[in-house]
Amino acid sequence: MTEQSAYFTPDYPVNIYGLSEQSVTVEFGTVISEKLLHAITGFNQFLLKNPFPGLITTVPAYCTLTVFFDPLQVLAGELPGETVFDKVSYYLNKINQLKKDGLIEKNNEIVIPVYYGGDFGIDISTVAKTNQLSESEVIEKHTSTQYTVYMIGFVPGFAYMGGMDASLQTPRKQVPDAKIPAGSVGIAGMQTGIYPIETPGGWQIIGRTPLKMFDVNRNQPSLLKGGDLVSFRSIDIDEFNALAEQ
Amino acid sequence: MSMRISIVKAGLLTSVQDMGRYRYLSQAVPVSGAMDQLAHRLANKAVGNEDDRATIEFTYADASFKAETDLLLAYSGDGAFLVYNDQVMPAEKPLFFRSGSVIKLINNPVGVRICLAVAGGWEVPEVMESKSTFLAGAFGGYEGRMLQKGDVLSNNVGLGKLSQEILNQLINRGLSYPNWRISRESLIPENRHSIRVVLANEINWFDATSIIAFLTNTYSIDRRSNRMGYHLNGKALVRKVKKELISTAVTPGIIQVTGSGDLVILMADCQTTGGYPRIAHVAAVDLPLCAQLKPGDEIRFSEISRDEAAELYLEREHDLSLITTAISLKYLNI
Repeated sequence: MTEQSAYFTPDYPVNIYGLSEQSVTVEFGTVISEKLLHAITGFNQFLLKNPFPGLITTVPAYCTLTVFFDPLQVLAGELPGETVFDKVSYYLNKINQLKKDGLIEKNNEIVIPVYYGGDFGIDISTVAKTNQLSESEVIEKHTSTQYTVYMIGFVPGFAYMGGMDASLQTPRKQVPDAKIPAGSVGIAGMQTGIYPIETPGGWQIIGRTPLKMFDVNRNQPSLLKGGDLVSFRSIDIDEFNALAEQ
Repeated sequence: MSMRISIVKAGLLTSVQDMGRYRYLSQAVPVSGAMDQLAHRLANKAVGNEDDRATIEFTYADASFKAETDLLLAYSGDGAFLVYNDQVMPAEKPLFFRSGSVIKLINNPVGVRICLAVAGGWEVPEVMESKSTFLAGAFGGYEGRMLQKGDVLSNNVGLGKLSQEILNQLINRGLSYPNWRISRESLIPENRHSIRVVLANEINWFDATSIIAFLTNTYSIDRRSNRMGYHLNGKALVRKVKKELISTAVTPGIIQVTGSGDLVILMADCQTTGGYPRIAHVAAVDLPLCAQLKPGDEIRFSEISRDEAAELYLEREHDLSLITTAISLKYLNI
């Protein structure tokens, strides 16, 4: 079996359920894994390139892909089935039965520059103490891994990433901060993430990126999307300021 | 024709909204849009607009605005009545106001929100293909924020034929409004506090007693309720399956059950993904009823099947298209 065909059946018998009158969810499994992520990414890319009449958009998540549509357009279309749900399910099952080679586009690799510690990373000492590391070891470990984006959720542009070094694991704050500035890089349990917009939050903040993680003026407002591969690079304050001005 | 208003008193939460922002859900951009989509669409229809034109959503009354030009407006919803010269202006019909008129909102005890449409639609820049305001993200609508005293809003000056004809007839006959109106009552059930729901994917995570309680007990709307969602007060539900739900897409209308067993109805500005198990979703045709619920209001849920909900959706869309046809036939030789 080639790597690509492995992303589809028979490995993933899918469960399709209605979420609302305008959406259905395809559940690919119940355990988070990179393999499942690739199955969902491949399915999603194929669906977006080959939409059924009335498809509006899709939302990939850890184990599911949710498909939004206009029921009137679906009904007017020629897919087999009596109800809107039947028609959409038929199409989604059909895609799942395809075994295509080369469906998966190469994942984007994105490097995020981060100024670690200081006023921008006030909790880096907490992360260091919790794990009996020095602050420079925290930075070293955080920058030496490649992370996988599983999904975007919570607030616009927020990426749920997997792959953090287990020796950086730090519990969330007992009392969340009222305001975490946009661009803050944090750790919560086994997860690391970047706050795209200013919001309250309970993550341990270790640094800040000058990049705009979410910008309504970009074609793709969220810098990251599901399936992206992310790594962090430590920068000094001059580079931070220079990048922030761009 | 150019139409303009200035906000004299902004009220509690006034924002520009439309039918929502759907194409950026995968980037965790919420749907937003008017909470009461039925009110939004009826207000637009009454001035001859397409349904997707932006309206202004007012929350309760205690607001007023001034006509800076002659205006063709319409409103719909239960949060307030429009008042001009001490006279209550009827909802769901086109209203003509002369430049200089001051129009006030007075309390309507029934609900929370009204949508105010102008011929052509309110003109604000599109952000991510929608004119809706998402306040928490500070984007969309009028500068990404709620309206304030002194803000001036203009319409999209290119009026459609239907809007133009509605306007001409009122002006020619010297009327403030015509004798017809859209019957919103005929579209919504008499008992507005009985909410139809479709059971959700995680229904079997709850014990039988809890499912029965959900479908028979009365729940009241908590104070912690806003455009993101409504917390409900009532019997907490007990789970039989204790595992965590892995975060997955959610959408307005979904009823989540929090860790403590409390119910939350997700509304227009809800997050795009969630990790709480879902017991049901509100039938799309009843979501506008939820949009008008106030803290303290009591509701009950009644179960319908997925197919019934889909059928009701299609019937509603059919009824709405008939309204447009009826208004067009009245004014245009088609």
